[in-house]
Amino acid sequence: MKPILLRARGEENSRSINTYLRLGGYAALKRALIMDPADVREEVKNSGLRGRGGAGFPAGVKWGFVPQSTTRPRYLICNADESEPGTFKDREIIHTEPHMLLEGIIIASYAIGANTAYIYIRGEFWTEAEILERAIAEACRKKYLGKDILRTGFDIDIHVHRGAGAYICGEETALIESIEGKRGQPRLKPPFPAVVGLFGCPTVVNNVETLACVPHIIEHGAEWFAGIGRDVRNSGPKLYGVSGHVEKPGVYELPMGTTFREIIYEHAGGIRGGKKLKAFIPGGSSCPVLPADRVDIPADFDSVAEAGSMLGSGGIIVMDETVDMVWALENLLTFYAHESCGQCTPCREGSDWALDIVRRIRAGHGQPRDLEALERISRHASQGMTICPLGDAFCGPIASFLKHFRHEFEDYIARAEPLPPKKLPVLPVRSDRGPFGI
Amino acid sequence: MTLARTRPLTVAPPDTLADVSFDEAMEARIEEILAKYPTRQAALLPLLWLCQDRWGWISPGVMRAVAARLDLAPAHVAGVVTFYTMYQTTPPGKYLLQVCTTLSCQLCGTSGLAEHLREKLGIGFGETTPDGRFTLLDVQCLGACGEAPVIQVNNDYYTGMTPEKLDELLDGLQ
Amino acid sequence: MVTVTIDGREVQVAEGTNLVEAARKAGIDIPTYCYHPGLSVVGQCRICFVEVEGAPRLVTACSTPVNDGMVVHTASDRVREARAAVMEFLLENHPLDCPVCDQAGECMLQDYSFEHGLDTTHMVDERRRYPGMERRLIGPHVVQNQNRCIHCTRCIRFTREISETSDLAMMKRGNHAYIDTFDGEPLDNPWSACVADVCPVGALTVKEFRFRARVWHLEETPSVCYGCSIGCAIEVGHHKGVVHRFRPRHNPEINGWWMCDHGRFLAEELNGRDVDRPLLRTGAGEAAATSWDAALQWFVEKACRDGGPRVVASANLTNEALFLVKRIFQDELGARVVVPVDPGEPRKIKNAHGQWVESADAHPNASGARLMGLHLVDGRELEAFLGEGGGPVLVVDAGAHPWLGTEEAARTVSGQTVGAIAMVHTPLTRQAAAVLPSASWIETEGTVTSSTGRVQLIRRGLWPGGESRPVWEILTLLARRLEVDLGLPTPVTPRRIFEELTARVPGFAGMTYRRFTTEPGIPVIEEVADVG
Ligand SMILES: Cc1cc2nc3c(=O)[nH]c(=O)nc-3n(C[C@H](O)[C@H](O)[C@H](O)COP(=O)(O)O)c2cc1C
Ligand code: SF4
Ligand code: FES
Ligand code: FES
Repeated sequence: MKPILLRARGEENSRSINTYLRLGGYAALKRALIMDPADVREEVKNSGLRGRGGAGFPAGVKWGFVPQSTTRPRYLICNADESEPGTFKDREIIHTEPHMLLEGIIIASYAIGANTAYIYIRGEFWTEAEILERAIAEACRKKYLGKDILRTGFDIDIHVHRGAGAYICGEETALIESIEGKRGQPRLKPPFPAVVGLFGCPTVVNNVETLACVPHIIEHGAEWFAGIGRDVRNSGPKLYGVSGHVEKPGVYELPMGTTFREIIYEHAGGIRGGKKLKAFIPGGSSCPVLPADRVDIPADFDSVAEAGSMLGSGGIIVMDETVDMVWALENLLTFYAHESCGQCTPCREGSDWALDIVRRIRAGHGQPRDLEALERISRHASQGMTICPLGDAFCGPIASFLKHFRHEFEDYIARAEPLPPKKLPVLPVRSDRGPFGI
Repeated sequence: MTLARTRPLTVAPPDTLADVSFDEAMEARIEEILAKYPTRQAALLPLLWLCQDRWGWISPGVMRAVAARLDLAPAHVAGVVTFYTMYQTTPPGKYLLQVCTTLSCQLCGTSGLAEHLREKLGIGFGETTPDGRFTLLDVQCLGACGEAPVIQVNNDYYTGMTPEKLDELLDGLQ
Repeated sequence: MVTVTIDGREVQVAEGTNLVEAARKAGIDIPTYCYHPGLSVVGQCRICFVEVEGAPRLVTACSTPVNDGMVVHTASDRVREARAAVMEFLLENHPLDCPVCDQAGECMLQDYSFEHGLDTTHMVDERRRYPGMERRLIGPHVVQNQNRCIHCTRCIRFTREISETSDLAMMKRGNHAYIDTFDGEPLDNPWSACVADVCPVGALTVKEFRFRARVWHLEETPSVCYGCSIGCAIEVGHHKGVVHRFRPRHNPEINGWWMCDHGRFLAEELNGRDVDRPLLRTGAGEAAATSWDAALQWFVEKACRDGGPRVVASANLTNEALFLVKRIFQDELGARVVVPVDPGEPRKIKNAHGQWVESADAHPNASGARLMGLHLVDGRELEAFLGEGGGPVLVVDAGAHPWLGTEEAARTVSGQTVGAIAMVHTPLTRQAAAVLPSASWIETEGTVTSSTGRVQLIRRGLWPGGESRPVWEILTLLARRLEVDLGLPTPVTPRRIFEELTARVPGFAGMTYRRFTTEPGIPVIEEVADVG
């Protein structure tokens, strides 16, 4: 397959609007603007485009949830928070052709009737935010953005909003809270953002990669897009990010449904140093880990789900035979305990407790009942026990590591020494007080 | 050409940030920010960024000024500032060395880098060198796992790091 | 109205009602931590899970509105497992320092752990601690122990939504998050102690009440705060004759679930009696203790002769006492009666509808006095009234007005014949010829009328201390000696006086004691609200 989303990778000045126009950019926008917004939504629906942010929800369907008769403003948000460990594809799109993203945002805004769009980009992506700001300025000058764009009467502004270091702000309602100037704590649903979202108005949140697909769908048609990949439920080009123990880590654009074997061994050059594959996480760290023998499954939404994991964001973390799986789980739990927003009891307490247990096991003080406790945690902090899926995001790894690599945990516990005497941990909190301190 | 391409932060000493006000240039930026949103509160994160760019960190005095400017309660502003890990609430060094410690980077050798840094700088995570040049932070996945191991210095990413490249980088950060 | 079936019981509730309230109506208690009927719903603690037929997952009852025909199970195996799991998570980091925790006995963590928790623990790791925040005064009245906090955010929502001061916020995030004020500033809004009421555990407690009593020993008597004219419904907690605390009692129309700190900390005053026997001055020097008989006789002979005394009544008295003042002195003896009213500090409280209710003055019953047809005066007029001379002075309540308690007031009446009723000595009572000891607020029963025109009942929780008597009783005794026929059946009780007053004072027409048990205060009849 010829690259689509990353077609300009390696080209000089690929970020400039002139290059983009030379490659046929903004033609889809012109086409979309003479279509009825409902037809744009229909086209995207028919293409089978599923959200690339993690949940895989059909984009056209989501757009259809936005009430069309409302007089309230509607908003489009591009989710460029890209914080799921193992995921680094959105950054690649922004670095390669930021205008492709902008064009996607403008078309999507038109399709749902939004006149303002925000790009929520993680705070660490300062360079990428600058790239986007520059691209927006270029597009404004060429009248692809602003009032009455291309003399069609359609107004659209895009603003870049920087996060400030919080994985949870990738969750769409936490993201909305964050834009509103609050702590990034996910909201109770319902109501869903499509009805009550940003500033209380109907809002669609889509991932960068999802939106970058949109111009191509409008340009080449739904059928063309649906024809790429396994079937219409698993269609289109997909950016697979491969990291960890491979020879050539990086982002690879391949048809949806390419097997993990092909991705890891052909494109990413195989396991580093000729070692053997032990396990891989198929779509960002919150997706259950799969052992090496599942490497032949196709990397698409439905196939990975059948195998008991998720395609998620398509960020594949590869671990070779030398990896200590207890260590790996500890590392992931460190992440989730650090990133839990803390509002739900099961997630706040569970993520940290699970981390304590795994850390203790690895430190050689595991207890026979620890694995049972870990399983209880993973059962009780997931599947709707929490407000947002971050609960599931750390429970999936716990359950899957225990399922596939239980013996490694048991080995640690079998070799364990008794617990050392308790010492009190000291947390970094401010304790000096004002006039009332005691 | 050296590897380093990062400019140092301007870090205001605490006593200068007890009571702050926004100068004309900042006011102009604040107006620009406010124009992007239908509510004043939505300008909070961008305004905090503006302040951190200007003074290097967010002191209680800065929080109070931001709260007053946006009609928010100072406690709310403090709650927001401390929720997000990138806002510094104590004065950092001129260079924030942010070492990614998440899985993909670890698989590619982060711990060696962290050890190297700790030895070379004589400080641990969360600490600043006595000369105020470096602050060492452990951070979570930076979203560049394909180029692991990754270190972010102030706003810039340095990827595919090795101890040798690290030495070169540190020498360049004056 | 919609109909829902909860654990097999059908209930009808208004549309929009959440499942916690609907279940409560059906007599079923769903555990809740973060949910508080007076605050916004956040659905964070996850203890209130219930099973709704047709829904694939458990739902949180607090955040789920009823639907017509909904069938809900609050005690299925799935629900029990979920609740036990949440309890386990909450206790995982809780210090379990119940023996030294002041919340013990009214701690929702204790109660629900008993009802819904597990009886074993899997926890062997270190519990979370917040050094420096383990016993810390965060304002003039509130002590924080962050180790015990369960992150329900009720206190934060209180300061945001009710006091509108936003002094508290959650700082940091995740497992290390904690509640704090901004940069060490004190939590000193006028309602600050309410955050301890809403705290379901012992993380926020009231400094003044800490370690004074175990709550299971406390007896709680429903009453009304006398700190201002709003008349917040309260619960007076006392044990062995000592009053330990006031707490707000729910009254949707007046104070919602709240009360202000000024009123709350009046509690201590009720223990401060220093007039405990009738006193009579026979010559020069200190007045000496005497019998009720002798003291009353003094009032009859010395104070109520020649067209009666000049009477200073009080807006701090119950409707019943004021009614007797009017009947005896104003109607029968033709005496001049004034009721001094001090505007006091402006105070306000939020009712259950989110509206502010503001005070008109610093007394619990100026409205009652007005409805009774008594003459209200301000401090200046009071001074003139007392300074005029002519006839003895009868002060029905030595604490009726702040000015009355000053040296200046004592000077104004020096040389005049003064009889007073008091619980606490003032310069004026010290030079009075006779003093009768009055019962305190918690030692008397009666009704008061708020400035918003609602009549509420205060109950007696303690027997009058020393030889003191409630003012209504003192007045009936005087009436008997003065041979004034009040037309009241014996024995005279506050309830009987109230019945008589509802028959005679138009604003109170149709009120009965029984209605106090079901109504949030009985509104006075509007048209006559400005009599006098
Ligand atoms: C904890 C959590 C973190 C998430 N992080 C991201 C993220 O970094 N980027 C992203 O695009 N979506 C993220 N999502 C998914 C979003 O909530 C949302 O589903 C997505 O942005 C929708 O876009 P899509 O339909 O185009 O995929 C996250 C979800 C959760 C629960
Ligand atoms: S599941 Fe975790 S991250 Fe998500 S809302 Fe609850 S506490 Fe926050
Ligand atoms: S793990 Fe280090 S950048 Fe993702
Ligand atoms: S009471 Fe319902 S989630 Fe807390």
